[in-house]
Amino acid sequence: MSAASRYWTFVRIDAAGERNIEEIAPAKAFFLASFPEFVTQGELSDIWVQRQLLSWMREAPAESPSPYVKKVAHAKGDRAIHSQPAQTDSRLLAHYCLKCFISNGIDRVCRDLGAKFGTEHGFTSEDLLPFVLDEDIRSQPGNHSYQSLMSEILQSFDPEQSNLATWTTRRVKHHKELNTFLLERGVYLVSDWAILNDTRPKQLQRILLEFHHLSAREIQQAKALLESYHAIYRAQRLKQRQAGIKGKCHPPTQEQLQQIARCLSGQTAETRSPEVVMSQLQDLASQLREYRIYARGGAAPTESIDAADEWGGTLADRICAHSLPDTVDEATEFLDFYRQQFRVCLDQTIAKVTQARLNRLIRKNPEKAEHFLLALYLFHCQGQSMGEIAKCINYKAQFQVTRLLQLKAFRADIEQQFLLQLCDRVLNRVKPYTNPQNLQAFNRQIEEILNEQVERAIAEAAAEASTTKPQPTTSLFSERLCHHLDTRRS
Amino acid sequence: MTHSTSFIPPMWLDFEAFPLETLELSAEAIEAAIALSVQIPHEERQWQTYLNALALSGFEQWLEERAPELEVRRDSCSLFQPATANAIEAIANLQVNGFQLCLLAMGSLTDEEVTVPRAVVDLPEYTAHFYAIVEVQEEQETAVIRGFLSYDQLRERRATVNREAEADWTYQLPLTWFDSDTDHLLLNLRGLEPAAIPLPDIPNRTQHLARVRPQLETLLPQLHAPDRQLWDVLTWEQGTTVLTNPELLDWVYRLQRQEINPTATRQHHLRDLLQLLTQPAMNAGRWLQNELDELAEELAWTLLPAPSFAPATAMRSTVEEFEAIVTQLDRQGVNIPPEARGAYREISLGGTPLRVYAVTWALRSEFTPEWTLLLIVGAQPGSNLPPSLELRISDPTGVLVSLTSDIRPDNSYLFTSVVGTWDEKFIATLSLSPEVSQTLPPFSFNPEG
Repeated sequence: MSAASRYWTFVRIDAAGERNIEEIAPAKAFFLASFPEFVTQGELSDIWVQRQLLSWMREAPAESPSPYVKKVAHAKGDRAIHSQPAQTDSRLLAHYCLKCFISNGIDRVCRDLGAKFGTEHGFTSEDLLPFVLDEDIRSQPGNHSYQSLMSEILQSFDPEQSNLATWTTRRVKHHKELNTFLLERGVYLVSDWAILNDTRPKQLQRILLEFHHLSAREIQQAKALLESYHAIYRAQRLKQRQAGIKGKCHPPTQEQLQQIARCLSGQTAETRSPEVVMSQLQDLASQLREYRIYARGGAAPTESIDAADEWGGTLADRICAHSLPDTVDEATEFLDFYRQQFRVCLDQTIAKVTQARLNRLIRKNPEKAEHFLLALYLFHCQGQSMGEIAKCINYKAQFQVTRLLQLKAFRADIEQQFLLQLCDRVLNRVKPYTNPQNLQAFNRQIEEILNEQVERAIAEAAAEASTTKPQPTTSLFSERLCHHLDTRRS
Repeated sequence: MTHSTSFIPPMWLDFEAFPLETLELSAEAIEAAIALSVQIPHEERQWQTYLNALALSGFEQWLEERAPELEVRRDSCSLFQPATANAIEAIANLQVNGFQLCLLAMGSLTDEEVTVPRAVVDLPEYTAHFYAIVEVQEEQETAVIRGFLSYDQLRERRATVNREAEADWTYQLPLTWFDSDTDHLLLNLRGLEPAAIPLPDIPNRTQHLARVRPQLETLLPQLHAPDRQLWDVLTWEQGTTVLTNPELLDWVYRLQRQEINPTATRQHHLRDLLQLLTQPAMNAGRWLQNELDELAEELAWTLLPAPSFAPATAMRSTVEEFEAIVTQLDRQGVNIPPEARGAYREISLGGTPLRVYAVTWALRSEFTPEWTLLLIVGAQPGSNLPPSLELRISDPTGVLVSLTSDIRPDNSYLFTSVVGTWDEKFIATLSLSPEVSQTLPPFSFNPEG
C-alpha cells in the first residue's frame, strides 16, 4: 500500500466480523486530482495535506450534502493555486479522505498490538478492531447521539498541535474498552495520570533537561504544573483510595483542572483555562512516557537461557582449574561422597519445593493446584507446549499457563534449596578434614563448584523449556522431576 | 545521554504485559498503606510513603511465596515509625533472616537513576546488607521486585565513580548497578551469614549532638511548615544528629504536624529536649539506697533522711521545713509513701535564694515499672516566693507541667509531680523571666545503677 492510498482505502469490519479493506473510488479520484504531487513526487508532507483536507471539510455547509462526486476540479501548477472543488463535494470528499486515513491508523495500532502480544495473550488484531473501528464511512457526521471514535478523533484533531497519525494512535491507545479488553488478557497501558503521580519534581527537572533539552524557563513552568497537579489530583487520589475506591487513574475532572489552575495562579501571574491545563498535563505525560520507554528499553531484564554454553568443561575441569591447594585430596574424597548425595538431595528438594508450591496454591484455590500439577506433568513429562497445555486445562491463553507454572522461579527455588541442602551435608562431612582457617575458603570454592553443577543440571531443563517445540525431556532435573510427578500420580 | 528528539516510538512499546513475577497487591495492603501515609504531614512525602508501604507489602508477599522459611521482622522497620518515615524516603531496617534490608520503591515512571536517601547509605543506623528496588504500579495494584545491590558492591562502585551526594541528601545511582536477577537475592538471604557483608558500626553521637546543640536550637523551629525538608534548613553534619536521634526526629515530626504550639512552648520544649539529650542525668534511683551519685554530689545536692527516721542535727531546720511541707501536701491529698527518698539544694535565681526539694519513689505495677518525681520549690523560711516564678518540667515528648507562683494564694512553695517509666528522664527549669532562668540537670531513675 502506498503512502497516498491511506487516504482512499477504508478499513472496516464487515457483517461477518472480518477485516475488510475497501477502496473508496470517489475519495481516490478526489485525492489524486487535489494532490497530484503527493502521489507522483512525494513532495507534499502529510501534515500539509491534512491541513488542506481539514480546511475543506470544515467549510460552511451547503444546502444538502451529495454522496457522489459530480465534478472534480483539476489542480495544476503550484500549491497556491489549488483550485477548490465544488464546495459540497469537496467537504464530503475531504471528510472521506481523512476518515480513510484514520481507519488505516487504527488498523495499524491493532495489528501492531496483535503482532506483539496476540499469540502469548490469546487474541488477534481482529478481536481488537470492533472496539475502535466502529463506523461506516458513509454514515453522516453529526446525525447520531453516539459519536464514533473515528469522528471523535477527527473532531478533536488540531493540525497545529500534531499530525493525524500520532493523534489517532494517541486516541486509540487510551480507548477505554480496548484497554479493558487488553487488561483482561494481561496487557496494560499505564495511564498518563499514574505516570504523573509517580514522578518527583526533581526527576521531571532532570528528564526535561537531559533528555528533552528544554530551557530553564520551560522546565520551571513544567515543574510548577506538576507540583500543582500533585497537590490536587494526587492528594484526592489518596482520599479516594482511603474511601475504598479502586482502579485506574481517571483523567482529572473539570473541577480538579480548575483547582490545579488556581493552585498554579498562586505561583504565576496568569490563570489558565481547564482545557489548557489538561492539554499541558497530557503533553507533560507524553514527554515522560517517551523517556520511560527509553529507560525501560535500556533496562529491561534479560534472561540468559544460553548461560550454560558459556561454562564449558566438566566439573572435573573446573576443579583442576580451581586447583584447591592443600585441600585437593579432601575435595576429591568429598566428591565421591557428594555424587552419592547428589541424587538423593535433588529428589528430596524437588518433592519439598513442589509440595510447598502446591500448598500455597491450595490455600488460594484448590482447582488451581490441580491445574498446576497437571500442567507441570504435561510440560516436563509429556513434552507438550504451553499453548497445548492451555487448551488441556481450559485456559484462555498461553500466558496464563506460563504464569501458573512460573517455571523460572520454580527452578530457582529448587536450585537454591538443593544447593543449600547439599552444602549443609557436604560441609558436615568435610569439617573434620579441614582446619578452621581453611574452612571458610574451602566453603567458598565448594559452593562455587556446586553452584555451577547444580545450575547446569537445571539450565539444561531451562533450555528444554525455552525451545518452541519441546523435545522429550533429557536433563537430570527433568528426569527427576518426572519421576517425582509420576510417583505423585500413582 | 544520546537520543533523537524526533524519536516516535512504535506504539506497542507503550503497552506492556505484566511481568511473570508480578505480585498482586491485596485490598488490605492498600488500606494499610493509606493508613501509614496519612500520618505523614506533607502531600509530596505522603505519596512516597504510600508507594513505600505498597513496596513493602509486595516484597513481603514475594518472600512469602518464594521463601516462606525466611524470617521477616518489621519491629525496627522505619516505615512503621512515622517520624522516621517522614524524614527518610526509603524503607530502612527491615530484617530478613538477620540481614538488614532497605527497600526503594519505584513508581510507574521507570527511571534510569535510582534515588537513594543519603541516610541509608552513609548512616550506620540505617545501612543495609541489601538494597532492593520494588517497582510499584499503584494504578494496577501490582508490584515487582526489580533488582538489588549489596552494601559492599554499593561501596565499591561508589568509590570507583566517586558519586557525590546531592543537595537534597540523596544519591542518584544508575539502575544498572542493581542486579536484576532477584533469585540471586534469595540465594544470598538463604545461604549467606549476615557477617559475610560487614556493615559499619554505629558511633556514639552524644558529643556530636552536644556540639551542634546551639545551632539546632535555632534551626529546627524553621521546619515548622510541613513542606520544608531537613536539607532545606540543616547542613548534612547537623542533619546527621537529627536523623540518628529518634527524639529529635519525633520533635520535627510533631512540629510539622502542628502539634507543638504556640511558638513559646515550642522553643521551651526544644531547649529542654536538647538538654535532656546532651546533659548527663542525676540518678534519683540511687537515693533509695541512701546514696547520691557523683553528679548529684558535684552539684551540691544533699540527701534528706527518710521521713520517719532520726534527723541529723545539722539538717534539723531543713528537715523540719520539709516535713511541714509533706504534712501540708498530705492534707491536700498528695500522698508520699514511707519508702520515698528526697534530696535538696539551694539555688539563687536572679539573686533570690530558693530551695529545691526533689522526692522520688518507685511505683510497682503489673506491666511496666514506673517512678515518681515530686519537685518542691520553697522560699527561704519566713518569706514568700517571688512573683512570676515559673517551674517547668519536660520530658522528651514535651512540656509536662508549667506552674507560676502567682496562681497560689499561699505562695511559700510551689510543687508538682510527674510519673514516668524507669527509662524516662525529666528536666526541670526555674525562671523569673526569659532572661533569668536556671535548668536543673535531668533526673533519671535507675535504683540498680
